[in-house]
Amino acid sequence: MNIRAYRTAFAVHARQVSRYRGAALGGMVTQAFFGVMLVALYEALAGEGDLLRETATYVWLQQIFFRAFFSTGGEIYEQIMSGSVCYSLLRPVDLHLWCVCREMAAKIVGVTMRLLPMILIQFVLPESWRMLPPDSPVAFVRFALSLLTGFLVIAQVNMITAAVTMRTLDNKGFSGLINLVMMILAGNIVPLTLAPERLQAVLRWQPFAQMLDAPIRMWLHAGPAGEWALSFGVQLAWLAGLTVFSRCLWGRGIRRIELQGG
Amino acid sequence: MSEGEIIIRAEGLTKVYRRTSGGKGFLGLFRRRTEEVRGLTDAGFEIRRGEVVGLLGPNGAGKSTTVKLLTGILTADGGACGVMGRTPWLERRKIAADIGAVFGQRMQLWWDVPVLDSFRLLRDIYSVPEARWKARLDELTDALELGGILQVPMRQLSLGQRMRAELCGSLLHEPSILFLDEPTIGLDAVSKLRLRDFLRAENRERGTTILLTTHDMADMLALCPRVLVLGRGRLLYDGGLDALLRRYDTEHTLRCVFDGGAEPEGLPPSVGVRREGEAWTLTFAPAEIPVGEVLAKLLAAGPVRELTLKEQDTDRLVARMYADLKLT
Repeated sequence: MNIRAYRTAFAVHARQVSRYRGAALGGMVTQAFFGVMLVALYEALAGEGDLLRETATYVWLQQIFFRAFFSTGGEIYEQIMSGSVCYSLLRPVDLHLWCVCREMAAKIVGVTMRLLPMILIQFVLPESWRMLPPDSPVAFVRFALSLLTGFLVIAQVNMITAAVTMRTLDNKGFSGLINLVMMILAGNIVPLTLAPERLQAVLRWQPFAQMLDAPIRMWLHAGPAGEWALSFGVQLAWLAGLTVFSRCLWGRGIRRIELQGG
Repeated sequence: MSEGEIIIRAEGLTKVYRRTSGGKGFLGLFRRRTEEVRGLTDAGFEIRRGEVVGLLGPNGAGKSTTVKLLTGILTADGGACGVMGRTPWLERRKIAADIGAVFGQRMQLWWDVPVLDSFRLLRDIYSVPEARWKARLDELTDALELGGILQVPMRQLSLGQRMRAELCGSLLHEPSILFLDEPTIGLDAVSKLRLRDFLRAENRERGTTILLTTHDMADMLALCPRVLVLGRGRLLYDGGLDALLRRYDTEHTLRCVFDGGAEPEGLPPSVGVRREGEAWTLTFAPAEIPVGEVLAKLLAAGPVRELTLKEQDTDRLVARMYADLKLT
């Protein structure tokens, strides 16, 4: 396989995303606002204490990495809708992997651009509203690994959305629906950690929890290695399953375009 | 020129498009009708290395379908096709290095990154060694005058600049065959001329085989000694462009102004005669009556002040050919 092509795709898209400073600033303001609102709300509901600090940390981490939820979009998706994506078939690359590289570039660069200011905000907040540092250095390493896996899981869901678009030829309906489901089930709107114990046992293992919920739990608690391995293993398993599924859908969509013409 | 080996071969090539649409009325919401549209039927031809071949035909004739089948974008429903000995739609990745393609109506370079970044991506996609890529890029930048726009994102370029950038992108990996689907669409006169010169040089110096579709007859005349004429998905003519044009050339025009009020006389009835003020316009088919004979009659009629001979407008000629072939 021609690794160099995918590396360059990543680099070129990363550079491109890094130019959108206005979008980054706008996103940051929104996320800082939602972060403050949500934390204030939980304080009003639950009062100060350990639970509030943990919940605040959960909310802030969700807001910091919020950008990662969304597809980088752009011309590839327009091409999918117009059918001209088939012209990309002329190139000797795996289009699916190519798009995943672009998605990852956008997520990593987009998040990095917002990272520092979002952390600086913490210092101007009342202490009880601030996020906690990682439980331990080990917790941080586990978190980082898990976060990267989470991004890959999101990228695959983005790819599934794109593949569905190949059939429906309109991206609004399905992506609107999936994004709403994703926001809720990933814990962005209400932290999954706040769900009742019995519900959590289910929520933790569904695919959307593998995006940011799993890494955030690792940040909050450096549990025993076995517990971590199980959690990370589930994340990897979902990543593998979703990758197979999205490649399948993608392949079928492309074949349809091949038969139908541009 | 056509001594090279056969590089493209098509036999009985057929493509049927299926269009689904809702039926009529309320029940149509639940029932789907499938309509079959013939894209290409039983087309057979061979193209040799180093040829420049034009694909001619009205809209919907099957030109783009042919190009898409040959590049592997579409899968054929019947017949066989070999590009460098491989079936394009089955071995798309294998022939990719050997073919370059530009679709005038579609952009293939990346829209919002600088042109040079696109070229770098192409270098890595096609695994072109750095030195080789650099040399080729310099050469193409020079020939296509891209020097000033390499750092500019594609979306900020003019149509002509974009087309030149696309062309450069399609040739960076030094393909043996170049497919061009309406490359001059929307270009101004200067850009068109430049593009033609470039393509001619590319063909002459590197022996690149070129298959071109265009509605611009001037492009055809300038570039393609051989044409394939398609109509309603069928191949109707395969041969020299000159021979084809001669066949339909029935409208040479002589325009003439006399000193004094002379009138042309003794012309056979097959010559159309029209008068507009002082000027006489004679229309005739050179195959029926030689130009010299018409000219002699005019000179005999009186002192000629102005005389212009116009060949037939090629667009009209093609229109007549389409009409003759019942394509319009």
